[in-house]
Amino acid sequence: MSKQYLTLHTLSDAHPSDVFALAPTTKSILSASGSSTIHIHDTTQADFPLLQSLEGVHPLGIHHLATAREARRAASAGFEGRVKIWSEGEDGTWKADGEISDQLKAGDVWAIALSADGKYLACSSINGKINVWSLAEEGKPKIRDYETKGSFGMCVDLSRDGRFTASGHENGSIYVFDNDTGRLTHSLAGLVKPVRSVAFSPSTTLLAAAGDSRTIALYDVKSGEQIANLAGHGGWVLTLDWSDTGEYLLSGSHDGKAKIWRIETRQCVATHAHGDKPLWTAKWLPKSTRSEMFALGGGNNAISFYREAAG
Amino acid sequence: MDADADTDTDELLLEPSQSSPPNSHLWVPSEQDSEDEILQDYLEDNQPTSITELDEDGESSQESVTLVSDRDWVIGHIEDLLESIVNGLLAENEQLTINLKTRSGLSRRQQDAGTIPPPRNIEISYPGNNAQDARRFTVVVRILELIHGCLIDDVVMTKRDMYYRHPDLFGKQPVVDRYVDDIACTLGVPRSLLNVTAAAKGLVAGSFVLNRGDGTSVRGLSEPEGILVPTIQASDALDMSAVHWILVIEKEATFRSVLSSPLWKVLGAQGLVLTAKGYPDIVSRRFLRHLADDFPHISMYALVDLDPDGIHIMSTYKHGSLRLAHEDVARRDTPGVNLPNLQWFGVQSHHIARAPGNEGDTTTAALAATEGVMRLTARDRKKAHHMLEWGVCGEHGSEPGWRAELQRMLMLNVKVEMQILDELPGGLVSWLSNQLEVMRCRSADDEMLF
Repeated sequence: MSKQYLTLHTLSDAHPSDVFALAPTTKSILSASGSSTIHIHDTTQADFPLLQSLEGVHPLGIHHLATAREARRAASAGFEGRVKIWSEGEDGTWKADGEISDQLKAGDVWAIALSADGKYLACSSINGKINVWSLAEEGKPKIRDYETKGSFGMCVDLSRDGRFTASGHENGSIYVFDNDTGRLTHSLAGLVKPVRSVAFSPSTTLLAAAGDSRTIALYDVKSGEQIANLAGHGGWVLTLDWSDTGEYLLSGSHDGKAKIWRIETRQCVATHAHGDKPLWTAKWLPKSTRSEMFALGGGNNAISFYREAAG
Repeated sequence: MDADADTDTDELLLEPSQSSPPNSHLWVPSEQDSEDEILQDYLEDNQPTSITELDEDGESSQESVTLVSDRDWVIGHIEDLLESIVNGLLAENEQLTINLKTRSGLSRRQQDAGTIPPPRNIEISYPGNNAQDARRFTVVVRILELIHGCLIDDVVMTKRDMYYRHPDLFGKQPVVDRYVDDIACTLGVPRSLLNVTAAAKGLVAGSFVLNRGDGTSVRGLSEPEGILVPTIQASDALDMSAVHWILVIEKEATFRSVLSSPLWKVLGAQGLVLTAKGYPDIVSRRFLRHLADDFPHISMYALVDLDPDGIHIMSTYKHGSLRLAHEDVARRDTPGVNLPNLQWFGVQSHHIARAPGNEGDTTTAALAATEGVMRLTARDRKKAHHMLEWGVCGEHGSEPGWRAELQRMLMLNVKVEMQILDELPGGLVSWLSNQLEVMRCRSADDEMLF
């Protein structure tokens, strides 16, 4: 059974170059691109007006953004190698809230993820190391330092309960670490090509991973077993995101196509084309009173919003 | 860098009287991006540069001086330089000094502002502080003498010829290259006014004829493997009536495979291909600039690898190299060698990794299936970072499309060499001829629009 999603609104030329990252909050969405500016758009109004721009944040461009699900905190990572932390005030304005100060060089940090409470930041790196920093503590110390086999960590995720860190690597490796014990929980087999996105399901029971093999692998977090393979994308899969309830998985590909998968039946229920340029980022918006919505950003410099068709 | 190889001569390339860390000023033909160099660039950019006056008319020695620099003027200046040394010797001065200006080791930082960064001053003294200083002085004096001789006799010498006059003194080619460029920079003239050319490096082939002033002619299709890029003299006439496009190819191997392809018979009759084998030399750039000036209606394209070096090479063709910025000073009779209308032909990211089996898209499908896509090296990533930082690929630079491609490379951590196009059905040359057709239609459309 297929589902219908309608284009709600498109912010064309939201950025002057490729939109590399989107990160939603309950009422807004942060976006970043090859320019140095983060834009914040209101997602509660029909025309998604621009609320704020954080300018000159990362001069070489911004490759990753993350927001905390239950806290007013965000993080941004730039090509120059720095990671900045942002906080939203009571009045809804975002302000700089320090940065990770360990002497980072370009490549020490690549992908980033924030825990739901905004207290922890997980980062992957070019040399394969996965690090976790405690943002709530004075000086934002590094609290976990996971070694891997040295392959480029292209993506990272923190489970919603903060217990696990997952990373996907260029050589196809996928690792799950236990943040409580600081140990490797699983080394997951199945993908041999670069893994470009990993995502824990909201209940932390499943981990989705995908990349150049074009299929999406689903793993049981507890056992580490692969339980499904979602095939259908024609290009490299660059981005994955679970819906709030965990019923649907949203994926985006290098060929510009986004797909929505029903986890129960393992079926692709909808496909949308966002131009033919790479689709770098695809995110569900947290469920509000309105029907389920998601946003797509990519090589056409635009951000498009979709909602589920009523009925 | 070649710090371990004949250190003796390498030291000739170090700046004299600098308290900088060793190696920070090693001359390197292509810009290697060491952290030292970047730091050094930064320090230099933040220091007030004092400029020694060498020009007679007392104008501050910016590149915009509007004096007429001709052969006699250059000879006069070189004679003045040599004379001051002889006077110093006669007066039994304890220290003889030559002041030079140099652009070696400058960064691309200021390229974007459209201004050329001011050269730095260096002093070369005899006997100096050590044997190296003395030897450096000897090198410069010898080069000045050789240039003077060329100018007096009105003959042109290549930098390579110069090196072979005294290989034991110069030690290696870059020593000659560097000081010749420094002397040109000091006098504020393009190197050609010193009657010194780079050794011909580029190859060219195509349906053009160069009719020399002396009645001989050079035909672009005379050799099956292309001819050395000729130097065009004022008395020469170039017949380009059969040429519809000009394609600049980064790699010699690709240039050769184009020429050896059966399709070349057709392609070669309507176009011109050129390779300077990597980073382009002045002779090749000047030849292309000549074509661009005299035949502005002929489109000029660049085919380079999709990696940071490829974009840098294309940038050198299009915007020039800062180390030789004095070559670009537009003067009345010595035009610059930039190619502002050079268009990016390929390889671009949309040529790779698309859905296989998409209807009507067999080209990209075939590419996706090949394994010619490679991962970026640490050097590639570092180079890309430096390119994104300033210059034409900076945030407000003049080449936003190049910046976007550099960022996409970093995002995907992949690069693509042009050889991948050979994996296509029909090979690279059939891809080329299709693309040329696409580009031709596109520019025809543009003409209709405007």
